[in-house]
Amino acid sequence: MKKRSDVPFGTASRRTVLKTLAAGAGVAALGGGWSGAAFAEDRVLTINTNISGEGQRKLMAQFIEEFTKETGIQVQQNAMDHEGYKTAIRNFLVANPPDVCLWFSGDRMRAFVNRGLFDDMSDLWVKEGWADKVGALTTTVTVDGKQYGVPTGASFWGIWARKDYLDKYADGKAPATWDELLAFGDKMVADGISPFAIGTKDLWPAAAWFDYLNLRINGYDFHMKLMAGEASYEDPKLDAVFDKWQELVDRKFFIPNHTSYDWQGAVPFLLQGKAGMYLMGQFLTRNIPAADLDKYTYLQFPTIDPAVAIAEEFPVDSMHIPSGAKNKDLARQFIAFFYQPQRLALWVEPEGNIPTRSDVPVLKKDWLLEKGQAILQSAKSASQYYDRDTDPDMAQIGMNGFQQFMADPKSRKAVQARLEQARKRIYKQS
Amino acid sequence: MTDVLRASAVRTATRRPGSLWRRHREWITPVLLLAPGLILFLLIIVIPTLQSFRLSLYDWDGIGPMSWVGLGNYSELFADPQFLTSLKNNIIWLILFLLAPVGGLVLALLVNQKVKGIRLAKSLFFMPLVLAPVTVGVVYSWFYDPTFGMMALIFNAFGATPPAILSDPDLVTFGIVAAALWPQVAFCMVLFLAGLNNLDEDVLGAGRVDGARGFPMFWHVVLPQLRAASFIALTVTVIGALRSFDLIAIMTQGGPYGSSSVLAYQMYEQAIFSYRMGYAAAIATVLFGVMAVFIIWYLSRVVSAEARRDR
Repeated sequence: MKKRSDVPFGTASRRTVLKTLAAGAGVAALGGGWSGAAFAEDRVLTINTNISGEGQRKLMAQFIEEFTKETGIQVQQNAMDHEGYKTAIRNFLVANPPDVCLWFSGDRMRAFVNRGLFDDMSDLWVKEGWADKVGALTTTVTVDGKQYGVPTGASFWGIWARKDYLDKYADGKAPATWDELLAFGDKMVADGISPFAIGTKDLWPAAAWFDYLNLRINGYDFHMKLMAGEASYEDPKLDAVFDKWQELVDRKFFIPNHTSYDWQGAVPFLLQGKAGMYLMGQFLTRNIPAADLDKYTYLQFPTIDPAVAIAEEFPVDSMHIPSGAKNKDLARQFIAFFYQPQRLALWVEPEGNIPTRSDVPVLKKDWLLEKGQAILQSAKSASQYYDRDTDPDMAQIGMNGFQQFMADPKSRKAVQARLEQARKRIYKQS
Repeated sequence: MTDVLRASAVRTATRRPGSLWRRHREWITPVLLLAPGLILFLLIIVIPTLQSFRLSLYDWDGIGPMSWVGLGNYSELFADPQFLTSLKNNIIWLILFLLAPVGGLVLALLVNQKVKGIRLAKSLFFMPLVLAPVTVGVVYSWFYDPTFGMMALIFNAFGATPPAILSDPDLVTFGIVAAALWPQVAFCMVLFLAGLNNLDEDVLGAGRVDGARGFPMFWHVVLPQLRAASFIALTVTVIGALRSFDLIAIMTQGGPYGSSSVLAYQMYEQAIFSYRMGYAAAIATVLFGVMAVFIIWYLSRVVSAEARRDR
């Protein structure tokens, strides 16, 4: 014991390291009893994060450092792997809640709000006057008129396309309708090129196709009813969706053996010209060599039924305070610090996200972001994504079914029946 | 820790002869010595196992209230086509994995020869054991890649169309088992090599005197002496086959559409992605039952072997 207090500087760093380990192993007791009086503020703010990109990881470390410098409050960040976090959050929100955590807005957030696991942050919204700045996106973190988090950044979806193929097979004109898309694709198939790259080993890339076809054919309202478990997976309205989807499969519009590849594994098909397009979020930009980026363009998903209002996929990430947080005042202080326009501008930059406040300064003119904003401005409504809009259990079974349908369209009826059976079980209907 | 216990025990015993301690030390000493291990075993293995059995009778999403469903999870499980697929794959794993002890024995006999450069061969065969299973999975996924992989290159060189092993529901499990066998064979080889080093020279000499050579020598003289090694190799292989999980998670995530899933992976998928803790616990219980058959067989062999030695 004595030795530890002899080395005041070593203590701080060693304590932080040990606390990280302790928190990670769930043995919070290890870190207790050591807190010296070295700092003005004795409490430590804990933040759990799930950042997968290098750029944002560096930024979070930088913001934490600035925050500590400005306020004297020590911050403990538990950085976790993005996928593992989805499981861990259910444990840590109940057993060992941090003061601040990152998560996804919309239905994923609502699941925790309904169980009383996220703190009502409306007071902070009023105090900071965020409602005017955030605008329509406020709805993504609102349940029953109260705000339970702040939206930190949004992704958008569309079709990545090679400009050279667009010039060669479509006279440089982006396909705006279903028929134009088919005509463009058929020409590529005739030359031995797969129109679309996709990697369904990850399951979720297939869901983008389901979402977009359903949004374009049946519209936003029906899609959201389906996501909420209020419509049947055997509804005749879905026949058109699967018909169109099967049309693409039958015309060999997708790369062969797509179940062998994860979403990143399918990118080389696009880069090497074996495929001409890729339905994917803006974040694919990280997987394209910077020098080649100008060879690609970003298209809005074509219209299928002109009578249906345009809706787009628009997943919004968010930051929350768990109900069990020990330092809710510090958490509010940190979020207010983080949610400044300047910092938010830095935060959305590495992933090419759309900023969630209207007063965020533009750091760098970015064609992709402009395309994304144009796509979203044309949309009347926005869904978040299949696995964020529906129950996780339903999403897992649904995406498995979509993968099977894409690999083997003959299984269509069986897949629909299985999904419907799952929906009835999950949403307790018979 | 144990030394301290024993020392203090001795002291107590000498101080008060005929005391409680003396009358009971026959059983107190082993109990005290076993206690730390037993308590840990109880806390880490037995109690969670029992909790898992209990959980399998509930419907629980991991955070909300638990609701009792009795054997509902089991009746759903036995009607679930995915369960049958997983069970079938477990059996395929089990049967094909038995190639590992055989292959390991053949390799061990091969590299046990005194030939120049055999040490290098030995280390090369040993190599997959050093690699993390994740690495093995990734390497094999690249090898199988039907467009850019090495296997595709070989097939294309002969003008053939490469099979998409990891996309074919009928081939995928065999593809993963092949990847898993690579380190498993090496492991069995090491076990048998250790056994071969402990062969009794006298028995071998006696065999030679009696004119045994070649295969009869191996079958009647060498193999019986490798009994212990074969037993361990077989047991480890069976358990390894039943708990196979890592390679499936890395190579296919159970796909395409669940056709390469096994019980362990299905359990993980249900608990982690679908948040169905009760259902996952039911799968775990079934897996436990399957494993218990082998564990009981193993334990009975060990116990009877010890009984023989004691006699």
